Amino acid sequence: MMKFLFMMIFMIPLCFMKNMFWLVQMMLFFMMFLFMNLNLNIMCFFNMSYMFYCDIISFGLILLSIWICSLMIMASESLFKLNFYFNFFLFNVIFLLIMLYLTFSVLNLLLFYFFFEASLIPTLLLIIGWGYQPERIQAGMYLLFYTLFGSLPLLMGIVYIFNDLNTMTIYFLKFFNMNMYLLYISMIFAFLVKMPMYFVHLWLPKAHVEAPVSGSMILAGIMLKLGGYGLLRVMIFLQEVNLKLNYIWIIISLVGGLFISMKCFCQVDMKSLIAYSSVAHMSMVIGGIMVMNYWGFIGSYILMISHGLCSSGMFCLANINYERLHSRSLYINSGMMNFMPSMSLWWFLLLSSNMAAPPSLNLLGEISLINSLVSWSNISMILLMMISFFSAGYSLYLYSYIQHGKYFQGLYSFYVWFISWVFIIIFALISFKYDNFKGWFYFYLILNKK
Amino acid sequence: MNNNSNKMFFLFILFFSTLISISSNSWFGCWIGLEINLLSFIPLISNSKNLLSVETSLKYFLTQSLASINFLFMILIKFSLLKNFNMNNIISIMMNSSLLMKMGSAPFHFWFPNIVEGLSWMNNFMLMTWQKISPMILLSYYFNKNFLIFMIIMNLIIGSLGGLNQTSLRKLLAFSSINNLGWMIFSIMISENLWLFYFLIYSMMIFMMISLFFLMNMYFMNQLFINNMNFFIKLNLLINFLSLGGLPPFMGFMPKWIIINFLLINKFYFLTFIFMMTSLIIIYYYIRIIYSSFMFNYFKMKWVNLLMKNNMSLINLSSFISISSMILSTFIFM
Repeated sequence: MMKFLFMMIFMIPLCFMKNMFWLVQMMLFFMMFLFMNLNLNIMCFFNMSYMFYCDIISFGLILLSIWICSLMIMASESLFKLNFYFNFFLFNVIFLLIMLYLTFSVLNLLLFYFFFEASLIPTLLLIIGWGYQPERIQAGMYLLFYTLFGSLPLLMGIVYIFNDLNTMTIYFLKFFNMNMYLLYISMIFAFLVKMPMYFVHLWLPKAHVEAPVSGSMILAGIMLKLGGYGLLRVMIFLQEVNLKLNYIWIIISLVGGLFISMKCFCQVDMKSLIAYSSVAHMSMVIGGIMVMNYWGFIGSYILMISHGLCSSGMFCLANINYERLHSRSLYINSGMMNFMPSMSLWWFLLLSSNMAAPPSLNLLGEISLINSLVSWSNISMILLMMISFFSAGYSLYLYSYIQHGKYFQGLYSFYVWFISWVFIIIFALISFKYDNFKGWFYFYLILNKK
Repeated sequence: MNNNSNKMFFLFILFFSTLISISSNSWFGCWIGLEINLLSFIPLISNSKNLLSVETSLKYFLTQSLASINFLFMILIKFSLLKNFNMNNIISIMMNSSLLMKMGSAPFHFWFPNIVEGLSWMNNFMLMTWQKISPMILLSYYFNKNFLIFMIIMNLIIGSLGGLNQTSLRKLLAFSSINNLGWMIFSIMISENLWLFYFLIYSMMIFMMISLFFLMNMYFMNQLFINNMNFFIKLNLLINFLSLGGLPPFMGFMPKWIIINFLLINKFYFLTFIFMMTSLIIIYYYIRIIYSSFMFNYFKMKWVNLLMKNNMSLINLSSFISISSMILSTFIFM
């Protein structure tokens, strides 16, 4: 594990040298393949050392974060061409990657908190430094303060646990049972704000829309999953209280997911629509974790991974449109199939995955989550049916408004294709389908384990 | 009287007075140290050419001497009563109040932002860091726990809410200093070592910020936007303020984390919550200050010369310390 950490640390001087933009991105791809192939025994804890470890959840999320960071650099090629502080941008991305890597792989709950918070600073710098509109200041403030408001009680809870149990090792927490309501709320509130749950989701549309493409990709791809990862880790010793109180969070997130899905139909901004769809997907993830059955955990984990890939890909595509038309509005971005028919293939593939059409990985996650939530209560069938239906609805809405129809008459001329975008999209989709096959394979294994 | 040798003389006496105050065996010695402290600080801050400066030093003299007289009176009453060492009586409250007034802690803080507005940056640095040492340590010798907890809450709330409407950088740092006094008073109730740790890190961070503002001659928030700060100065400002706010991964997170640890060991749950929420408000107005360094394109106006006083090595040193403190603070966990 330290080998990857040192590889990332030593990429930092590389960021500041001249003309090393593509080299950094290539090194991140290289590290991704190394990480994937050097860790073969996935079904247990592995790579335990003094303070690092990896199990299946950490492994998948670290892989996702390295992948999205490398795609982020590839997608921000315009920063390099226009020479807009790309050195510091690369440093920011690699610093963020180091913080995320450490968040997912440390063994100590306080260190997890430390790096969880520390990953917020480069994100804030990305949004305010490289964003496009003046509203990004307010977006950065909302991001920072919503997240900090949630996570300061988390610090209190972690220090209380340390004083009570004299251990902070995540692995040992399963032997304890902390049955206090106030501790429960302080521990999970941070992750619920980060996920985000419905009532505390206000930072997400702002931050996603105002962020540059790299910021949006990392926010949608990984930062939301930090909340999910935290919930998965923290539920271990809070099970009894959770059984009494989980209905609150499940109901808020499912009904909220329904409202957000309906709100997606009213959006004019493409990125805003994708951001709200993120909230809707994450609402199902929260529901799945809170019911605390095995299918719920697995479903939420799979939905987190697949949503990370899918949402990042969609933000990337939205940025491709933005760079050519300089607008994210649905009124202007219409009839794109006339100019970029190959792009409509990518839009279709990603949007069909977003709506959880087979054979995508989202479908696997949603099926598992539907199973777990319906096993918890039959009435959630209604909510889940409507959420899935509306997610199909707004994905198709986005696709048909962008691609079909008559194009906007005010367009002048723009580049139709850039070769690097081909690579991004191909890689995003290939990883997606690779994960598909792996996911269905593991699903089969898990079913047979039962 | 802008003579450097004069200032050195009084500075030496200032340092010495704190040592007298801390290391005396009797309360009279403490009082004498506080008086000498006041006497030697006044010539440092008064500058007879500037009317505001004279007025500031007069205000400082009045408030501090009031507090000192109060302290002396309470010491005498305590000696004459001679009956108890119990810390839960009115005498301890009065003694603590006079010491809190010397420090500029709420609810006796009203002189503090006023005076800070009239002093130059380096004098401010002395006021905010060195002048707090002897009252703090004297506070630790005889304090009333319930009274001090109430004072801590007032410090935190006034320090955070008072800075929301300020545009002068000196007043902002004054309110942040009042807020940090709340943290420091709690730490001194736990242990003097803990206070020393918090105080050293706090004064190091304040030093880096004040030296930055001093070298760029910035006193107000609108000056942050119209000068040609190069990239490293912006980064330095960013890191310093976020560190002072107590955000990980910076160095300023560590003293706050340790104090929260002791708060929870002693079961002050609601107090911890107040500590957290007020520090959120503080972070809000720190971020308002560092807006200018978040946004990378800055005015490159030709009529504003970035005339650095003396030399830039101080800024380079403080940048290096800030950035390396980030890395060092992670190592301390292991």
